[in-house]
Formats: sequence, structure tokens, C-alpha cells
Amino acid sequence: MDESVKLDKPVTRRTFLVGGSLAGFAAFLAACGTQGQTGAPTGRATATAAATSGASAGPTTAATEAPLPTGGGALNFANWVGYMDMSDDEEHYPTLEKFTAETAIEVNYADGAIDSNETFFTSDLQAPLQAGLPTEWDIVVVTDWMVARLARLGWLETINTAATPNFPANLLQQYIGRSFDPDTNLSAPWQSGMTGIGFDKAVTGDLTSLAVFWDATYAGRMTYLDELRDTVGLAALKLGFDPATLTEEQWQQSLAEVDTAVKAGIPRQITGNYYTEVMASGDAVIAIAWSGDITSLLQPDQTRRQDFQWVLADEGGMLWTDNMVIPKGAANKGQAELWIDFYYRPENAAAVAAWVNYVCPVKGAAEILIAEDPDIGNNQLIFPTDEMTGRLHQFRSTSADEEQRWAEEFSRVLGL
Amino acid sequence: MRVSRRAIPYLLLLPGIGWLILFYLYPALQLFLVSLWTGNITDGYQQTFNFGIYAEGLSEYSPWIVRSAAYGGLATILAFLLGYPLAYAIAFKGGRYKNLLLFLVIAPFFVSFLLRTISWKIILADSGIVLGPLKDVGLLGDDFRILATPAAVIAGITYNLLPFMTLPLYVALEKVDFRLLEAARDLYAGPWRPGGTIVGAIVGGAILALAAFVLDAEPLIPAAVGAAIGAAVGTFLISEAFVRVTWPMSLPGVFAGSLLTFIPAVGDFINAELLGNPRTQMIGNVIQGRFLEIADYPMASALSFILMAAIIVGVLLYARVLGTEELTGGRA
Repeated sequence: MDESVKLDKPVTRRTFLVGGSLAGFAAFLAACGTQGQTGAPTGRATATAAATSGASAGPTTAATEAPLPTGGGALNFANWVGYMDMSDDEEHYPTLEKFTAETAIEVNYADGAIDSNETFFTSDLQAPLQAGLPTEWDIVVVTDWMVARLARLGWLETINTAATPNFPANLLQQYIGRSFDPDTNLSAPWQSGMTGIGFDKAVTGDLTSLAVFWDATYAGRMTYLDELRDTVGLAALKLGFDPATLTEEQWQQSLAEVDTAVKAGIPRQITGNYYTEVMASGDAVIAIAWSGDITSLLQPDQTRRQDFQWVLADEGGMLWTDNMVIPKGAANKGQAELWIDFYYRPENAAAVAAWVNYVCPVKGAAEILIAEDPDIGNNQLIFPTDEMTGRLHQFRSTSADEEQRWAEEFSRVLGL
Repeated sequence: MRVSRRAIPYLLLLPGIGWLILFYLYPALQLFLVSLWTGNITDGYQQTFNFGIYAEGLSEYSPWIVRSAAYGGLATILAFLLGYPLAYAIAFKGGRYKNLLLFLVIAPFFVSFLLRTISWKIILADSGIVLGPLKDVGLLGDDFRILATPAAVIAGITYNLLPFMTLPLYVALEKVDFRLLEAARDLYAGPWRPGGTIVGAIVGGAILALAAFVLDAEPLIPAAVGAAIGAAVGTFLISEAFVRVTWPMSLPGVFAGSLLTFIPAVGDFINAELLGNPRTQMIGNVIQGRFLEIADYPMASALSFILMAAIIVGVLLYARVLGTEELTGGRA
């Protein structure tokens, strides 16, 4: 009996500890709460936005028609990993440094700030723009369909093309007047690329067919992309559908094809740009991959005799374009326009293309690349052959409703 | 004078309560209101007091909630099995190294949670420094892997939360008066037989059967192995003095430690994201995905509340059960 009396004390402490653990959990929820809250539409935003841009803007931000700044200021630039040329020691961005030397604009370049369109949209763009506030970026690089969404929402600044002599003057004809940007003044194409099969040839041998993404031999040793237009696009091609004219029924079938593979444990992970690291570690030997990444991001480990390759599948592949856009209310719009103009000088675009291994949308860049290094003309990642171009498909544009619903259905397949 | 003295405890509560109102109650209320919105990202959201979303969330996402509870529960049991002997050893045999050993228990916290989990990916890579050599000498098949499996997720959670289990256990065990154990032995407390054998076999068998069930494996063989190990531990390592004195007195620590482990474990999403595969996603991943990828704020908020409610119900049930056990233990 004596003991039970003694035990009374710990009970109090226990109760206290329970309270403590619940409070910890509360903090976790509170963190979630803030995120949810940012989505709330607010009325007071417009006034704040005006005040903010007035306070922090560079010399020419206020009026779009004002001349471009000739020097100074900053440029906050969010991009995907491996999407800007680097020096051999990987410590400098020569093209960015050249821009700074010419304009005295300091570039805050965020390499890999974008890992996936959806995630970047929700984490960095959606909350401030919905509230009418500027984001922390002056230039962001997003894929066509995300440009379309941002344009539809009215969340993009118009590029003052009167002040950018090289844009769209040096933009290749096929990019002019795209459906989501009829006046070619909302988005400046950065690179185009292809989605195909990335693989470690030392392990898998030569691959040519999309069927490998459903091949149980490599179950648990491949990754899919969490971009639905890439992953479901390839599933559609495998089934013989054209992603450019995908019907609702074909979408469902293609999605089911992906679902089957996921349920069977074939993809190890479904990731964004992170897949290159899963391949580098050897955990994945096959990936739904973007054309330039394999060359520019993956250093094969010689001791393990890794041999990374990228191939456009026989059934075809996806073609997409990533674009520079200026989010609404960007503090340094003038600087952003200066950068766009700078990039659209062929020699600068060529320097980037040669390193990133993607298809360059700038007129004259191809000629410079070939003049500097005739061999590069054979680099099919930068210069896809006509035969390859014939096998490339663009994912069709989607209505706002479709986009929302398809994204939901795709996330279900991702296991979420 | 007397009035102000009586007010002192309340004054002392003020900062904490203020903090919680500002950073917990208010956001929680906001979150609750958001959960009742309808709409989508392009057309905007309206407050419609759509309580139906809770039924929808429960029916649609119960598999994820069940999976989270299973992973969290297994991780808690595992952390207990690792943490109890550890805490016991430090409390009773630590001697002058007690402080050093306790420091070692919390030392991993000096490195960020995320980094520790990512380093697991490097260490346990399919042909990394652990599995690579084992595969080279043929001890493991070429297809064997730890990463991207449910086991990796559960092990990751266990590792990351182990100190939360160990420290409360230590605090409870450290308080056990050694003289009570001596008294028990004086009163003929010896080895715990055959009780230890039977209880050990049942507990060991049940744990491994449950683990096999969660990991989608055939439970019969694991159950037998677990029973054998449990019986051995119960027969040879557990004394009657432990069962009658140490164990009841450590129950508050078991209770606190398991809650401190289980609650964050159920809501965890980092381990499932980094160490798991698409079929091991937990409810935390769903909530994160709803918030960050689909921008479906109402469902994400509703799921947060459903998770919170589920945990509170679970904890209350657990408190009742363990509360009774503690009383029985005390009376014996």
C-alpha cells in the first residue's frame, strides 16, 4: 500500500509531460496554420503592395515606360538546378558575371530554388501574388503550362519590349505568339528540352523503348517525375496516344498505366529534379529524365563504371519549354528586362546552351556554337535531328478545371 | 498582500498562455475556418462552412491515417525496446559516466533532423558503404535494399525520436530507490518464472507479428521468432523484483516517453518522403502535398484536424489503459 502512495507523485509529473508533448504538437500545427492562412484572400493587400513597391523599388521600377537602368541595383533570379553555365571549378557563373560587369547589377542567383513547377508555385508565388504583394523574385523560370496559369491569373508583369531590342527580335519564329502569350510579352523562353529515358548504360545496356518504365526487372531501381505532363505524357505515348490531343478517356487510361506501375512498386521514388542525385548514388539506374540533365548534372563515378545516357524513346518523347517570367509587382522589373535583353544576345545564349545541353530558343546562337566548336552540331540534346523532332510531342493545354482535377488525380497516383 | 500572492501563479501562467493563444489557438482557429472553405486555386475560395469535408477526408484518406498510426506505433514500440534497456543501463549502471552517456543520447540533436535523415540515404544506398560490401561478398542478393521500403521509414522515425523515449524513461528509472529492490529480494523475489517465459513469448510474438503485418510480410515465422526471443528474455533477464518494483515505478516514464515518441511519429513526413516510396506515404505527406502541390487548403486543413482528433482520442484511451495498469502495479 505504501508504494501506491508513492506513485502519486509521478502521476503529476506524467500529466505535466503529457501536456508538454501536446504543446509540442500544437507548435507543429501552428506552423501548418500559417501556411494555410497565407492562402486567404485579403482585401487590404493592394494598398500594402503599392507601399512596398514604392519603398523598395529600383530607379525605374515604378513606370514601365521609363528607360532601363544603365547600372546598379539587384536582380533576384530563381532557376532550376543545372540551368546556368558554370566555370570548370563550379564556383562561378561566367554569363552572370559578364552581365554584372556590364551593368553593375548584382544577381542573386538561386540555383535549384525551383525543383518542381507545382511546389514552387505554392511555396513562392501563390501566397504573395494572391494577396497582391510582390514575391521575393524578379525573374523565375517556369514551364509553358505554368506560364499559362500565371497569365490566366494576371500574375505576370508585361515585359516592356520597347526597352529590350533583342527580345523578341532574336526569338526563334516558332516561339512567337504562343497561345498563352499571344503578344509575346509575358514570357521569354529560356530553354526547350525533351523528356525521355535516362539510364546507366553500364547496368541496363542500350534502351530505346518506353516499355522499360513498366519493366518489373528494374522494379525499385527507377524514378518517375512528379510533373504530370512528363510522366503521364510518356505513359500516353507508350499507349499510342498523342499527348497534344489527349482526350479525357485517354488521360484516364494513361494515368491508370502509371498507377499500375506505382502499385507494383516499379518506381522507387517519384521526384522533381532530385532524380539526378538518386541516379548518382546508383540507387536508380533508369529515370524519366530531362534531356540536358544527364550530361550537365551527372558525374559518372568511375570506380563504379557508371555510364549515364539519355535517349529519346522510339515511341516518342515530350517537348516542353521553360520560360523566364517577371512575377507581378517585382521590385526590380527594369533589371529583369535588362537581363532578358542580355540573354537574347546570341553569344550569351550560346554560352548558356553549350553548358546546360538544352535546346536554345535564341536566333543566331546555333551559328555561334557551331562556329566555336563544329562538333557541337552533332550534340542532339542541343540540336535535335529532324527525325527526333518528328517524335516529339507537346502536352496539350488544359482548362483551369481540367488542370485542377488532373493534378488531383495525378497526386493520388503519387500516393498522396 | 494576500490577494497579490494568490495571483502570482496566474501571473506566472500569463506568458505561456499568451504565447499559446497567439501561436497555437489563433492559427488553429484560422486553420479550422480554412478547412470549411470551398473553391480552388484559380477561382478563389469562399467560406461556406462545408462540414461535409470532414466526412469526405475521413473516408478518402483513412488508409493513410491507418498507415501513419501503424508506422508511428511500430516506431514507438521499437524505440521503447531500444530505449528501455538503454535508460536502465544508464540509470543503474552508469555510475560516474551517467552525464556523459546522457549527453551521447541527445548528441544527435546537435545535427539537423533533415541532415541526419539525408545521411541515412547516403549510408544505406543500395550499393553504399553498408550494403555494397555485403552484396559483394554475396551475403545479400543484388536486389536487396533498405531505402525506399516501409522498414526504412519506420527505422528512420525510430532513430530520429529515440531520445524522446529514452530521456523520460531515464528520469523515471533514476528515481527508483535501490533499497526497494533489496527489500524485494529479502522477501524472496527471485527469477520471474514461469511468468516471464509466458509473458515474454506473448509480447515478443505479438510485436514481431504486428511488424510483419505492417510490412506486408507473412506473420507466422516472425511471430515464432519473436516468441522465442521474448521467452528467452523473460526467462533469463527479467527478475521478480523488476516486475514488482522497477517496472511499476518506471510506468510514468513509459507513458510520457511513448507519447512524446508516438505523437510526432504519426505526424512525421520527412522520413516517408526521404526514405520511403510512393506506397509508404503517411498522412503528413498528404497534408503537405495538399498544401504545397495541389493548393487544396480546405482538405489539408481538415486532415490536420482529423489527425489531431485521432491522436487525442488515441492518447485518452492509452491514458485510461495505462492508468489502470499503474494502479494494479502499485497495489501488488
